[in-house]
Amino acid sequence: MSVYAVDKVCRRVVREPEFVEALRADPERALRAAQPPLTDEERELLLAGDVGRLGRMGASFFLLHQLGRFELFGLTLPEYAARIRAEYAVERRASSLHPNQAPRR
Amino acid sequence: MAEIVGALGVPHNPFVALALARGDDGVGEARRLYDALASELRAMKPDTIVIVTTDHYNLFFEVSVPIFSIGIAERAAGPSDYPLLPRVDVALDAELAREIQASVVAEDFDVGASRELELDHTITAPLCSMLGTVDAALIPLYVSGSMHPLPSARRCFALGRAVRRAIEGSSLARRVVVVASGAFSFEVGGPRMSEDSHVGVPDAAWAVHVTELLAGGEFERVVAEATPAQLEAAGNASGELLDWLVMLGTFDARPPVFIEAQAAEGHSFAAWRLAP
Repeated sequence: MSVYAVDKVCRRVVREPEFVEALRADPERALRAAQPPLTDEERELLLAGDVGRLGRMGASFFLLHQLGRFELFGLTLPEYAARIRAEYAVERRASSLHPNQAPRR
Repeated sequence: MAEIVGALGVPHNPFVALALARGDDGVGEARRLYDALASELRAMKPDTIVIVTTDHYNLFFEVSVPIFSIGIAERAAGPSDYPLLPRVDVALDAELAREIQASVVAEDFDVGASRELELDHTITAPLCSMLGTVDAALIPLYVSGSMHPLPSARRCFALGRAVRRAIEGSSLARRVVVVASGAFSFEVGGPRMSEDSHVGVPDAAWAVHVTELLAGGEFERVVAEATPAQLEAAGNASGELLDWLVMLGTFDARPPVFIEAQAAEGHSFAAWRLAP
């Protein structure tokens, strides 16, 4: 079920400055304390800043990008964006995913 | 008796709002467009502004995500999500909000209520950039336009109709302006972002097309074309068009007195004058 747990971590980042501080001080400990619990895979992906894989698993991109905005897990907004582009490079090349060039009607 | 005297549609990009608040270079066009709407808004002399918006995972998440909800409180402050934006603390029109909720629920629209709420950037960005130029109380009306499942375009338009009946049926003396906050095509953080940013406009043609339909007063066509597939194609924030559809439902369809798209941004600025 728990991509919800990842989404909730991202949302708390926006709303709880003390949670952000805890994530900066000891990210693994802060993530292990999160409720509902993250799976081992989710925790490892968060710690690695692997937002591409988390997006593939169904986490909300809107929420994930907050990790870049708050510069957690080695991310910045540009680095966040670069990782999403890299994960979705094939789809973006293919096409309709590419921004601003989808003629519609 | 309460009366809807005007309607506006605006975007709420927080980075643009921040640049405007700081007086940065590079946002001159946004300044011009917000100012054009501010001038319309001042002429409307509103007592109350109903602002229709989509909560961005700030107010609603863990406990419940209502499809529609209205803010019923004496005051609210924000932003809850972008601490760099100017802090606001504004009066809400709890009296009229309560009447609207009771009226639309009696008409079978299941609109919840928030009795304590923080405003997020979707309200405070337009407030700082424009709405704050008038002394009016706010009524936040929330549409669940970003978390699936989204309400249908038809349902949102119909809710606007019910809100209109609620306002016109109120004995409160209020000049009301209805404002929609949101974009038509926008992707935040997702695979369809641009090459040089964490946001993108996956379907600029859709934003232009919607703007053209609105310019012609063809509201029903927007409703018909705003299918789930179209909203999905236009980006993960494109459900904000639903906020506009509620606003458009609150008056008889007609061309606006002002409308201009920023196609590369996926949004438009628009104003309708509805009463002297």
